[in-house]
Amino acid sequence: MIALPLGLVAVLSAVMALTGQGADSVLRHLYLVPTVWVALGWGTVGGGLVGALAGLLHAPVVLPAVERQGITSQTLDGLLSLGLPVLTGLLVGYLADGARARAARLSAVLAIQRRLAEPGPLEAALTGVAQELRLTLGARRVALLVGGDVQTALLASVPVGTLVDPDSAGAFTLATGQPVTSPDLRGDPRLASDPTPEAAPLRGLTLPLASGAGVIGVMAVEWAGELSRATRTAAEELAVHVGLAVENARLTLRQQRFAEELAEKIEAATGRLRELDQAKTEFLSVVSHELRTPLTALQGFSELLLRSALPPEKAHRCLVYLHTEACTLGRIVGELLDLSRIEAGRALELHPEAVDLDALLERNVELFATEHRQHRFEWTRTASGLALHADPDALDRMMKNLLSNAVKYSPRGGRVLVSASPAPDRPGMVEVAVEDDGVGIPAEQLPRIFDKYVRVPHPDTASARGLGLGLCLVKALAEAHGGRVEVDSLPGKGSRFRLLLPEVDRHF
Amino acid sequence: MVLLSAPFDSAAAAPPRPPRRPFAQTGGAAALVVALGAASEMLGAAPAGLGRALATGAAHGGLIGLGWLLATSGAPGWSGPVIRLGVAMTLASVAARLVPWGALAFALMPLLLLLEVRRRPALRALGLVGCRPRHSLAGLAAGGFLGAHLLITASLTFGHRAHTSSLAAYALALAYDVGANVLSAEWLFRGAVFSWCWRRSSFWPAALVSTALALLRYLADPALPPAAEARAGAVFYLGLVGLVGCALRAWSGSLLPGYLGGLAFFAAYRTLAP
Repeated sequence: MIALPLGLVAVLSAVMALTGQGADSVLRHLYLVPTVWVALGWGTVGGGLVGALAGLLHAPVVLPAVERQGITSQTLDGLLSLGLPVLTGLLVGYLADGARARAARLSAVLAIQRRLAEPGPLEAALTGVAQELRLTLGARRVALLVGGDVQTALLASVPVGTLVDPDSAGAFTLATGQPVTSPDLRGDPRLASDPTPEAAPLRGLTLPLASGAGVIGVMAVEWAGELSRATRTAAEELAVHVGLAVENARLTLRQQRFAEELAEKIEAATGRLRELDQAKTEFLSVVSHELRTPLTALQGFSELLLRSALPPEKAHRCLVYLHTEACTLGRIVGELLDLSRIEAGRALELHPEAVDLDALLERNVELFATEHRQHRFEWTRTASGLALHADPDALDRMMKNLLSNAVKYSPRGGRVLVSASPAPDRPGMVEVAVEDDGVGIPAEQLPRIFDKYVRVPHPDTASARGLGLGLCLVKALAEAHGGRVEVDSLPGKGSRFRLLLPEVDRHF
Repeated sequence: MVLLSAPFDSAAAAPPRPPRRPFAQTGGAAALVVALGAASEMLGAAPAGLGRALATGAAHGGLIGLGWLLATSGAPGWSGPVIRLGVAMTLASVAARLVPWGALAFALMPLLLLLEVRRRPALRALGLVGCRPRHSLAGLAAGGFLGAHLLITASLTFGHRAHTSSLAAYALALAYDVGANVLSAEWLFRGAVFSWCWRRSSFWPAALVSTALALLRYLADPALPPAAEARAGAVFYLGLVGLVGCALRAWSGSLLPGYLGGLAFFAAYRTLAP
């Protein structure tokens, strides 16, 4: 396209030469047309060059006149007309460059904001921003370092791949907020870089990216060759825009993350509430069933005793059944009362006294061994005999719950190991462990098994009865004693529950 | 990226100034030989023109030596190449005076210069790198245009004409431009001075300083006709040649386009006859 205005200059010169136009020819003013044309299209350099060309082409007409006539008003006008095109070209080109640069900066700002508003990680958006900056500023390399600390800051550079030294000029600007300008990075004594210079100087500029919160990053730009004042000003303006845009993007990302976390929490809470609701519904169903079973037995055996004159042996057996079911009923009611106390936030009622732990454990083991013949209970009396100051009834319920669970969740029988000893990892605590080789508990369920109404589903134990309160009560009772309960379990391998109770009285 | 990867010390002291001694020694030696040549010419102590040839060769050798020192900051090891180049330039100049085709020795100077800088990568900073063909063509076009413009303007203004007494004389004059006149100007002014200033400042100050120094060198040249219009023309055209050379050096990164432009201009200038 530049050929047309250049052709026009050539045609004008040819016409003036062929028609013998003088220094004051009116045609000379037409040189301004291609000059302005090029200046508008190619800026200061193009306008200046075509203006200079026009002046030079007009010179062979003007200078002979000056030689012949000396300095007169006519020749002076001719001399001025030599400089007019170049001045016009430079001025128009300068204004055109300024307008173009402003438009480019505006376009770059919009592109930067669009990049930073795109969904995705900030690092990827920053790389896009660096690319925009590189194109707009005509730079060789652009890097953006975003973050308060150079070691942890996000880095985006175009071309990709640069190392960050904690003592670099970029780090200096990040720490102090002061820009660094270098007219030639290869020969700058402040920089420990390769001193071998290139054919063109390598200009460098670091600018702080500032927001209301202070310096949030650094923009580092390197140019090969000339760095004009206009380009430097553009870089400074863009750094301000980038700082604000990055801060906005970070705030938006933080807000999004917060909103996502909130949504996740609400979702989790809703799910938990749903589970609890489901568990309560199941609980009511299970409670009804659990209460009905002993009640039915009580009703049946009592009616049998009332209506029939049974021989003493049979009557005694019925009374034993009645007693057993009444105990079961009492245990269920006791658990429900404890649960209501826990839910109400009231302390469990304990009556501590000296307890012979060995005797209590032995009694329970024998009881369960009698009732569950397919399981092999192993119990070793402690060497020294452990004594606790605890509520014997609560301790008994804890053991029964743990043993009951060991039996329930070992549906195919197996070994149940009970042991008691001073806790090796907790000085001052006694450890009572109940270990089975049953179905075990999946890792994801472990955090929930001490919650109320929770029963870990397993196809082999679906028929096991229970309210889902046993472990919750064990935990509450252990904590009421100043102790705790822990579990280790592997699915398919079994579980090991550790009841840890203080050796001496600390809470009563 | 140097700004992020190179350690930075904001309080680092400026590098020490280049030692003055090599500059003084080179400039002094060149000035001494120039003075000797001029004196012998004036006193007629030597065959006609020999003193002048000695002075011309020493002057161009001195310019190349100063360019070398400026580019290397007078780093150790300067004396060998500077002396070799200075002596070679002086011998070429003397050969041009004494031997009929001796001026062709000037044509060897660019090769000798390239041989000397081959093992010194720091001198690439002067612009001793290759360039694209379009850069070279632009240099030739710019120099050719200015040369043609000079011929037309001088013809229309002063009635000068394009003429050469003989092809041989023209070739010998061109050889002088190839190996001394244009070579030393590009080497020192567009290479060393412009590059030195450009690295510390920006294009226009560097271009103006280097062009002003180049104009001083030409105005001090006794070969320039003393007429006012010739001096005004020299300032105008050599100023333009200098600025164009700087622009080509900055645009292409190489001295070659400016060198070719200078040669094209002087190729036209050598045909100018009153």
